[in-house]
Amino acid sequence: MDEYEVRVRIYAAVVVVLFLILGGRLAQIQLFNGAGDGGAAGNAVRERPVEPARGAIYDRDSTLLVDNQPTYTIMLTPRYFDRSKTGLLADLMGVADSTVTRKLEAARAWNPFRPSRSFRKVSFDTFSRVQEHLYELPGVSHEIELRRRYHTAARSAHALGYVREISNQALAQNRDDGYRAGDFIGKMGLEKAYESALRGKRGSEFVLVNVRGSEIKPYRNGQNDEPPEGGYDLHLALDHEVQALAESLFVGKRGAAVALDPDNGEILSFVSEPSFDPSIFSRSVSGPVWDSLRTAPTDPLFNRAVRSGFPPGSTWKPFMSLVALEEGLLTENQRLDCPPTYRIGRRAFKNHQMKDEGRITVEKALEVSCNTFFYQLMDRMELKTWHDWAREFGFGQEIPLDIGEQASGLIPDSSYYDRMYGRWTDGYTINLGIGQGDMSVTPLQLARYTAALANKGTLPSPHFVRKMVHPRTGEVRRPDLPPAESIPIDSSSFETVREGMHRVMTDGTGQWVQIPDIPSAGKTGTAQNPHGEDHSLFIMFAPYDDPEIAIAVAVENAGYGATAAAPIASLMAEKYLTGSIADTWERRYWKTQLRDSVRSAPPKGFGAPSDSSVTEPPSQAPSADPLRTDAGARTDSVGAAPPASSAGRD
Amino acid sequence: MPSSPTRNWPPLPDPWTLLAWVALVGVGLVALYSTTHGPAADYLGSGVRDNFYRQMVWAGVSAVGIAIALLLPLRVLRQLAYPAYGVTIGLLLLTLFVGAEVKGTRAWLALGPFRLQVSELAKVGTVLAVAQLLSGRHTRGASNLNFALKAVALIVVPGVLVILQNDLGTALVFFGLVPIMLFWAGLPLPVIALMISPAVAGYLALLSVPVALGFASLFTAGLWWTSQRRYVAALAATFTGGVTAAVSLVLNKILQPYQVDRLLSFTNPGAEQFRQGVGFNLVQSKAAISSGGLWGQGFMQGTQTQGAYVPEQTTDFIFSVIGEEFGFVGSVVTLGLLAALLLRLITLGSDVKHPFGSIVAAGAVGVYLIHIFINLGMVTGILPVIGLPLPFISYGGSAMLAHTALLALVLTTHMRRDDLSIYGY
Repeated sequence: MDEYEVRVRIYAAVVVVLFLILGGRLAQIQLFNGAGDGGAAGNAVRERPVEPARGAIYDRDSTLLVDNQPTYTIMLTPRYFDRSKTGLLADLMGVADSTVTRKLEAARAWNPFRPSRSFRKVSFDTFSRVQEHLYELPGVSHEIELRRRYHTAARSAHALGYVREISNQALAQNRDDGYRAGDFIGKMGLEKAYESALRGKRGSEFVLVNVRGSEIKPYRNGQNDEPPEGGYDLHLALDHEVQALAESLFVGKRGAAVALDPDNGEILSFVSEPSFDPSIFSRSVSGPVWDSLRTAPTDPLFNRAVRSGFPPGSTWKPFMSLVALEEGLLTENQRLDCPPTYRIGRRAFKNHQMKDEGRITVEKALEVSCNTFFYQLMDRMELKTWHDWAREFGFGQEIPLDIGEQASGLIPDSSYYDRMYGRWTDGYTINLGIGQGDMSVTPLQLARYTAALANKGTLPSPHFVRKMVHPRTGEVRRPDLPPAESIPIDSSSFETVREGMHRVMTDGTGQWVQIPDIPSAGKTGTAQNPHGEDHSLFIMFAPYDDPEIAIAVAVENAGYGATAAAPIASLMAEKYLTGSIADTWERRYWKTQLRDSVRSAPPKGFGAPSDSSVTEPPSQAPSADPLRTDAGARTDSVGAAPPASSAGRD
Repeated sequence: MPSSPTRNWPPLPDPWTLLAWVALVGVGLVALYSTTHGPAADYLGSGVRDNFYRQMVWAGVSAVGIAIALLLPLRVLRQLAYPAYGVTIGLLLLTLFVGAEVKGTRAWLALGPFRLQVSELAKVGTVLAVAQLLSGRHTRGASNLNFALKAVALIVVPGVLVILQNDLGTALVFFGLVPIMLFWAGLPLPVIALMISPAVAGYLALLSVPVALGFASLFTAGLWWTSQRRYVAALAATFTGGVTAAVSLVLNKILQPYQVDRLLSFTNPGAEQFRQGVGFNLVQSKAAISSGGLWGQGFMQGTQTQGAYVPEQTTDFIFSVIGEEFGFVGSVVTLGLLAALLLRLITLGSDVKHPFGSIVAAGAVGVYLIHIFINLGMVTGILPVIGLPLPFISYGGSAMLAHTALLALVLTTHMRRDDLSIYGY
């Protein structure tokens, strides 16, 4: 081999060695991912979440209350936007060029590199037009969001609750559940309580993005995509017509109404007023709107139906009657005095308008709402007996419910009085006999108690949701309800008390709010309170023989039970039972009165921070002032003719 | 074309070389089609689709060029060597004054609708001129120091002019040709080693000064041991140690930090300070090649390619397209085609017993080898980012024409090798 030959071979060897180096490097990068940069997949393939449709909500007749509406947003990223395309975008959007320019400037001022939601809530047509041209519009992207849409006149704000964009704090807590920034989450009511069922499962789309971040096409033709799974639809027991009526009757008032099916505890109507329009949360809630909701002195976000404690006033008398009958303090036909005043020590406790009804039975006592009759019963009853029975009726504790937080109300025992007053006498507790003094109940507790009066002794578990239906599979899930509790009182006692309550409606304080042609039973309550005007309360069930609805209504600072709460309850019951309101002068009168005249008076010391005790946890709600119980309780009686009677004479 | 039956050479060019050329041009057109007609084209600008057809035209022009070159008698070629060299030098000078500047490089002459990158043609002229010089009647190859120095001068002049055009990559090709052509022409091996050693030392110094110093010591000791001459060892120490020292001096004291970043970013392009800047090309290119895996993402399916993540993916970084869409298999096939072509050209060159033919072949192989190694080294991140196209594959008419012309020269000298009498100086 001559030298020339050697050089040829060396040259060839150098070529081979250099190519082997290159080939080795390629093997390292391509086969063993030696590039160490995570590869292209993390770079060019973007996972785009596909939001599931949140479950819809239907009422008891399968009327759609809430579903989702897609909203389309066109976004601009100024840094990548091609200014020569301004005209094209403006044409597609159907706006002036200057509008696009202005939006672009606004977006640039915010952040030139991130997409700004420049055109919100564009129509589907506009959105489709722009989407078709996205490929020639660098820096333009889109977003589809599903927002809650509310269909009926009934707001049912506190029952339904609302959804909002998840807060950073909640995000940190719920990260394991797959929440991401910008997700919506139920913040109140059913939306919150049934969040996991309503929410569904997020899907994913994988798309290829180019170096500018614009989407090019589906990755692997969508092979890796996962479709979203919609959430369960909720079917509620609510009757949206009754609900809407109740809300309209509550205009200008503060308070709550709860209507139950006494047979099973289904919540037919659930009102807390003032309330808010949950659809405002379908948009992004502006700071001022949110602040005004949060800080309004009337506190519209506060759920009065389950969180405010009211002294039950005379609506408590059926309870006292039942306990007295069961404890043997009284028999069905036994007569007790109903004097104008009842003395304990040096203090006198009075009947309303100092009425003297003579010797009366318990039925009559309920009909005329005789305070002194029940003072006597309370005087004969141990506080512990009273307390234990009150708890047996579901008061003083949170009761089963499928949404949110509740107040437990206040049912005091002797240790409470020891703690509050040190030395105390029967004079401190006698007012408990007429639902006054240091006690409070929530409207929901009152409604459940009314249901037990209606069905003669069974406390049902109040609940909104009858069933959850999977939108795709049709699978039905029913909520687990705690069993109904039965009250160990003889049903004959219930008969007696129900008869008394029936007489309230025929001859007593409820006679002006009878449902035309449907016998019913009820009890008014006018609760004195340290916060101003009396609270107006009413409990009612109907039809009398086989009750289908049990209602409790409480209206703050609205005066007599018979003039505010009673007509609301009666109209709700009529609407529920007959589907309409009879066209009689009484019904017309009450509708007009409630909508135009009857109002909650401003609470005493309106606006002062200490004054919101009705809306605060009940441990603070009742008066801690012993003088308060001293003042005696004025409760309504037949003699307290409601304005209706005079109106009737007109 | 006078073709006498007495001639015993077949009047046909080497078919394997032609086949490899067609295959490589085909690979380039496939990759180019993918980037210009795939989803990426939608936003790369409307002109990008035309690039594919333009390249087709250039491939056709190049094919015609091969045919013309094959028709030229060798005598004409040899006579044209110096004039061609002179013309290219003249054009390079002209370009410096009236050239069109693209991305900071003033390397194009506008000829009506065409833009010609003169430095590409200069490679052809230079190879021809050096071959002519070293195969002259009175030379005995490059072992004659006088002719060796003349050859170096022939190569360095266009190299310097190209540096003045601010086209470092092409200049490297010229300087890289020096040892290659002299090696082929017979310069002693230790001298060739001496000429190459500064490049190796410089590269190592970029990576790690201690390693470069280690290489310098070993190299010096090795040369001293083989040559047993002190001055050779001294030269070796000066070239390697000196370059190492110079490189670290330049890096630390002379260059601006951004220039240093440019040079060094290839060692760790994904680093926070590089990945959106000087390292961006490399990060994206490596990601693209890596995403190809064994079989590739498929034609027009590459996520990086179709997302246009890799800048210059039709020109200097076109291999990222092949790597991503056709995977390791496609890469190795391409690499194999290139290697086969180069080895075949070396064989053709060695078949020509006359120095003119073999030096032209060696020069052509040298040009290709430098382009291929620097281009793929850059794309795969083992060399700094130096702009050089991949022969026959990258988009670009001048380079295609120049590289094909070199090929045609080798083919024609091989085809007519019997016209070159060993004694026909």
